[in-house]
Amino acid sequence: MDQVAVTAFFQTLVQGLLTGGLYALIGTGLSLIFGVMKIINFAHGDFLAIGMFITLALFKAFNLDPYLSLLVAAPFGFALGYLIQRFVLARLGDRLGEGSLLATLGLGLIISNTLLLGFGAQPQSINVPYAINTLKFAGVQVSVSLLIAGLGTVLAISALNLVLYRTELGRAIRATAQNPLGAELQGVKTSNIQAIVFGVGVSFAAIAGVLLMPLLYTFPTVGENYVTKAFIVTVLGGLGNLPGAVVGGLVLGVIESLGAFYISNNYRDAYGLIVFLLVLLLRPEGLFGRTVKRV
Amino acid sequence: MRPIQTLTALALLSFTLASAQGTIKIGAVTSLSGRFATFGAMQQAGFKVAVDEINAKGGINGQKLELLLEDDASDTNKALNAAEKLVNERVPLVIGAYSSGVTKPLSQYMARVKVPLLVATAIDETITKPGNAYTFRVNNQSSVYTRSLITELKRIGGMKTAVVLTSNDAFGKSVLTDATKLLPAAGFTVLSKDTYDKGLTDFRPLLNRYKGQNPDVVIFASYEEDAVALAKQVRETGLSPRMIAGIATGFALPDFLKGAGSTAENFLVTMVWNADVKYPGAASLYTRLKTALGGEEPSQHAAQSYAAVLAAADAIKRGGSDPEKVRAALESTKLNTAFGPVTFRDYAGYQNQNSVVGLITQVQGGKFVTVGPASAATGKVVLPRK
Repeated sequence: MDQVAVTAFFQTLVQGLLTGGLYALIGTGLSLIFGVMKIINFAHGDFLAIGMFITLALFKAFNLDPYLSLLVAAPFGFALGYLIQRFVLARLGDRLGEGSLLATLGLGLIISNTLLLGFGAQPQSINVPYAINTLKFAGVQVSVSLLIAGLGTVLAISALNLVLYRTELGRAIRATAQNPLGAELQGVKTSNIQAIVFGVGVSFAAIAGVLLMPLLYTFPTVGENYVTKAFIVTVLGGLGNLPGAVVGGLVLGVIESLGAFYISNNYRDAYGLIVFLLVLLLRPEGLFGRTVKRV
Repeated sequence: MRPIQTLTALALLSFTLASAQGTIKIGAVTSLSGRFATFGAMQQAGFKVAVDEINAKGGINGQKLELLLEDDASDTNKALNAAEKLVNERVPLVIGAYSSGVTKPLSQYMARVKVPLLVATAIDETITKPGNAYTFRVNNQSSVYTRSLITELKRIGGMKTAVVLTSNDAFGKSVLTDATKLLPAAGFTVLSKDTYDKGLTDFRPLLNRYKGQNPDVVIFASYEEDAVALAKQVRETGLSPRMIAGIATGFALPDFLKGAGSTAENFLVTMVWNADVKYPGAASLYTRLKTALGGEEPSQHAAQSYAAVLAAADAIKRGGSDPEKVRAALESTKLNTAFGPVTFRDYAGYQNQNSVVGLITQVQGGKFVTVGPASAATGKVVLPRK
């Protein structure tokens, strides 16, 4: 390989890692919700779309810098998730298992159709001049907004880890994940904890949406493209395993990028699914085990 | 409650009857919703401007022209349903649809029911390949776009190698086939040819590969925001060929300029109509289309749709309202419009195909400037692109 080809390879690798970081961020929210509440959130992609559309709307209305939208999208996502858990999912009671599946699917439909009504079906993007600026290290060129997205992912996941392992709230969340009844007996308000967890999960999806917006375009059903990735990421890492979701995301991003680079672009989605199937076959508990307890 | 509903129904019915007597109806199918909605909006504007113009001039043989517009939601089955509905309303002709993937099956259906289909925008080669006497096309076929681009690249000179990336659908594959056939014939080496599935938003690995291959020319064909994503990611990956070109569609949209901003600068874009074309009435058409779009910049798709309605009205004027006679009248169409000349001819293996001059524009200062062919150029090409 000559120098140019080597640089192109490293560039693909770095960009794959950063894209994978975004997958990880989306997957972390999904995995956290599963870890604590044992439900799969099928509306996760639509929460991501909400984050993107908040960014779009604020940019169009006030010319607001996309990254400042985080200040709106993250709390909004949290509040939305909190309320959904309180007023929809919590009411399912004993039927949470199959009920949550239908409820989150339904919520997703409501969200995507509301977005359709409000913003129309056509794809829309925002154009901030600095989003296309690039940084160059040793010939490897990466866009600033992709780097910011990667940095945002690291910050969000580190913050979540700090909360989970260094605070009283984190202790309560982990207790709720391990044994809800036991936690309740120890004075933990598990219903409140579950609402907080759902809120954080939705907030993570919305944050990912904001970070994606300067890079990509959005349309009401944009979430579909990402929710499959989030599932793959979650299963790769082990359901409910947060560090697993991070590694799963990075692995998926790199595999997709290198596959498209070396083999063919047309099978891009297949590369992830092949690894996904292999992991399911060989390590059904995920690369890092189904350590739900560790949340 | 019930009497009110009955009354309303009666009122509506009498209104429809009343309006039916005084108008000549033609049908149109386009994508007002779904992934081609932006193009559908362009088509709608073109239809509206043409219908208004015809009616302001007194309509067709004293009767007002009315357009029955159906939404296909960017979906083939819905387009076929919409066409069936229009045929049942006894329209003598249908204009549509936007995309090639939808238009091809639609043209087969229209031939079966023996009602002419006037294609305004779709550019897949095979749509006007012989065997279907009921399909007429106002727009050029995709090879004209590709050929005029390659001719221009050759004229500019100094470029030897190329890569081609298109969307994985009827339109994209048509361009890919044309390009990989025409490029070697023009002395170019094709280093790489790829397609991508819709919904793919990360082109970086491919663009990185191209960067490694260091081509002189990069040719893209894609819809809408994919064009924006491509332009942005070209800048991101540092791919810097001497020239980057986009074949019409997504790249020819004003939204491309808005969304891609400075990353679109110096892209070559092939199209058949631009605000600076030299056909009589083009400037006025541009202004009227812009008004119909509520101030948005019109694209070639709006102008093509405008011309399609003019051609339809002209054929009905000469042929009456019988589909068979309208079909015969379309065959002898000879119009000069602000979009360019419209005649449906059989040539070079095509049937009922209009031929418009393929323009090469270049994005300069955030605007499409026509740089080729020499007879139509209003500016000079900038090379290499910055």
